[in-house]
Amino acid sequence: MKEVVEKMNNSEDILTIPLQLGDNYAFVLYLKTVVDGLKLQNIIIKPFFELKSTEFFSSYIQSLPDIAKMKTGDELLIQLTKGHVLIAIQEQFFLVDIKMITASTPQPALMEPTIYGPQLALSEAIETNLNMIRHRYLEPSLTIETVQLKDKSHQSIALIYDKKIVKQSVLDKIQKKIKEMNNPLIESSGDLQLFLNSTKFSLFPVLLLTERPDRITYNLANGKVVILMDGSPQAIVAPVVFYDFMVSMEDNYHSFWISIFTLILRYVGILTCILLPAMYVAVTSYTPDIFRVELALSVAGSRLGVPYPSFIEVLFMLLFMEFLIEASIRLPKAISATATTVGGLILGTAATEAALTSNIMIIIVSAVAITSFVIPISEMSFAIRICRYVLLAFTTLFGTVGLMLGFLGIIMFLTNKESFGEPFLKINWKSTKREKEV
Amino acid sequence: MYLLDRRKVVFLYVIVIQCIVLLAGCGFKDIDNRLFIIGIGVDPSEKEEGHYKVTLKLSIPVASIKQEKKPSYQYLVHEGENIEEAVRILETHTDKTLEFGHTKIIMVNEALLENNIKDVMDYFVRRGDMQLIAWVGVAKESAEEVLRAEPKAEEAVSTSITRFFDNTGTESPYIVSAFMFEFRRNTRSLGIDPVLPIVETNDDGSQLIVNKSLIVQEGRVPFELSSRLTREYNTLANDLGGYSYKIEFEGNNIVVNIGKTKVKYKIITENKKPTAINMKIEMTGEIIESDKDLSLNNLEKYNKLAEDEVKKHVLEFLTTVQKENLDPIGFGLKYRTMHINNKDTMKKWNEAYPELPIDLKVDVNLKSTGTIE
Repeated sequence: MKEVVEKMNNSEDILTIPLQLGDNYAFVLYLKTVVDGLKLQNIIIKPFFELKSTEFFSSYIQSLPDIAKMKTGDELLIQLTKGHVLIAIQEQFFLVDIKMITASTPQPALMEPTIYGPQLALSEAIETNLNMIRHRYLEPSLTIETVQLKDKSHQSIALIYDKKIVKQSVLDKIQKKIKEMNNPLIESSGDLQLFLNSTKFSLFPVLLLTERPDRITYNLANGKVVILMDGSPQAIVAPVVFYDFMVSMEDNYHSFWISIFTLILRYVGILTCILLPAMYVAVTSYTPDIFRVELALSVAGSRLGVPYPSFIEVLFMLLFMEFLIEASIRLPKAISATATTVGGLILGTAATEAALTSNIMIIIVSAVAITSFVIPISEMSFAIRICRYVLLAFTTLFGTVGLMLGFLGIIMFLTNKESFGEPFLKINWKSTKREKEV
Repeated sequence: MYLLDRRKVVFLYVIVIQCIVLLAGCGFKDIDNRLFIIGIGVDPSEKEEGHYKVTLKLSIPVASIKQEKKPSYQYLVHEGENIEEAVRILETHTDKTLEFGHTKIIMVNEALLENNIKDVMDYFVRRGDMQLIAWVGVAKESAEEVLRAEPKAEEAVSTSITRFFDNTGTESPYIVSAFMFEFRRNTRSLGIDPVLPIVETNDDGSQLIVNKSLIVQEGRVPFELSSRLTREYNTLANDLGGYSYKIEFEGNNIVVNIGKTKVKYKIITENKKPTAINMKIEMTGEIIESDKDLSLNNLEKYNKLAEDEVKKHVLEFLTTVQKENLDPIGFGLKYRTMHINNKDTMKKWNEAYPELPIDLKVDVNLKSTGTIE
């Protein structure tokens, strides 16, 4: 036991408590900061003084529901840091899990809110999350595998899947990836997702992060693998196709035509978001004959006095919009209102009145800003936001042809992509739900 | 070694991108550096025989459409040996690029239609940007004058002259419209003669009037169709309704308004020779004016009267053009499409056409005697 204490560098919060009652004695060793003191008192210390002999006590300990497998060496130390208690009764050693769980209450869904459907998202504690998922998915074939990460955080992650319908090849790939992973520090599931992704310079996400338990069960029911990480309120879903990012859970709670309408709305939104800025440059600077003559003249009129070419105008306005979005995400809620107001003034009439941009540009920038939020999963929305700069560059250089080729290029890039062996742009026409049997 | 290679690759990329940036410069021209030409007029030159006078109508963009009451135009006029030369010279009369992508109207002087159609059209057809969007109109006196007309009802940033021809504005059976490509196609194909609208202005240029048309044939003076004949032409060629006939009977007048028309015709052949044109017209409409009370029970009678009236008018049109040996409807084209083509097909048709009997059947179906009971 001394050895253990030494190995822990005599940290202040490591406690060794001797328990003695007559001839019976035992030692309890634990880290005070991670162990639930009250629970320790109730299930270990109190019974020691109530039971007659150490034999009784040791058999009592062995029958505790929280008893863990005895570990040795470094693994033991990791278990201790996780909130296990080492009990020594004469020559016997036991490890009992008396973890103090903080942040175990489910949070309201912030990233993917819906009008109908469950309003609570995952919590930051893996136990609570597993509990939530088990509660929602009552299939005996649901399998949970717990793996310990090898990095400094030593977080436990859980692989969850429905054994009956999961695609074995995908599961094997994920298990292999997790086994091979050797990164110094993984802090959240967002991190983990990047390392699972394996390409260094990636733009489009090939794993889906979600905080909604109903999305998790929906995906489980469709044979996907869900990865949970302790301390992180987001679950990773794999493999995913592009269409998964466009589905909001709300679609399942509405009637057919309403969900079709919202789905179409989203696709129109995504196209507008990607194409509109580039299209403005293409049409105003290369082929103004695409407009109706009235529109062409009024665009020309509103550009009167704008000193820079159209692509600089677009870039200027888009960058301002990005600053505004970035600022309102990062700022505390109390201040972010100010940021949007000030930004709104710049993006609004002031920029046109100073003849820095045309009126039409303001409309385009606002349309682009709104449509980029239509995509339900924010990672995809970020990726799309970057894509439009690529298109803008192509269009500035090569005009309308550049716009078309650039867009084609993006589609080709997506087609070439895969998520754990599944093609990224896969469409399952035959099944009623797009995500079925992926 | 590896590092060196990578540097080389990066260097190559930089060079390539720089080249691309420099190369792209020529196509890029902002919309405010272009001047939109909305109409081109071609007149014969006043100074030199065989030369052309080209008028360009430029629409000047305005900063705020709401505040602007009148449209502002600029006119560029130059005479040159050919149209291309004149346009090139006119490019030097302005500080911005001339943009032909919105040229929706080409006005041609009537005097040029007799011998110079191919010459004039060639320039416009060879330019890809206006071939599919431009309408062709004929000016009786001067194309320049027609282009210079600025109707009172015209609002800023719009061109009223093109609204005559597309269906966004006025729709009338008196207005014939012909796209550039249509005009060229009909000029060159055998068995059909193109019809062009005549655009006129009133004296002070505050009004545009389009209700007559011209049948054009290479090498002869164009044949003018009066307003009434233009209407008959539109009925037969484009199934257009929306006009009325006045019928006199038993001492009173009724006016019949035709709503829908449907025209079918067949060319009857015997012994491999065209022998007759079989035409059937179905019309629906209503009685819109009358100086006497009418009964719904007599609709059959009014139908009959209207049929006779329509027949009279249509036959008048058909015989007129037949006599002139012109074929604006395209009977000859229809004949060609229905027969195996050999070197005699057109010859036979041309021989037979001026004398070809027309078997006309009109079926008028009046729906009501108006809403007054």
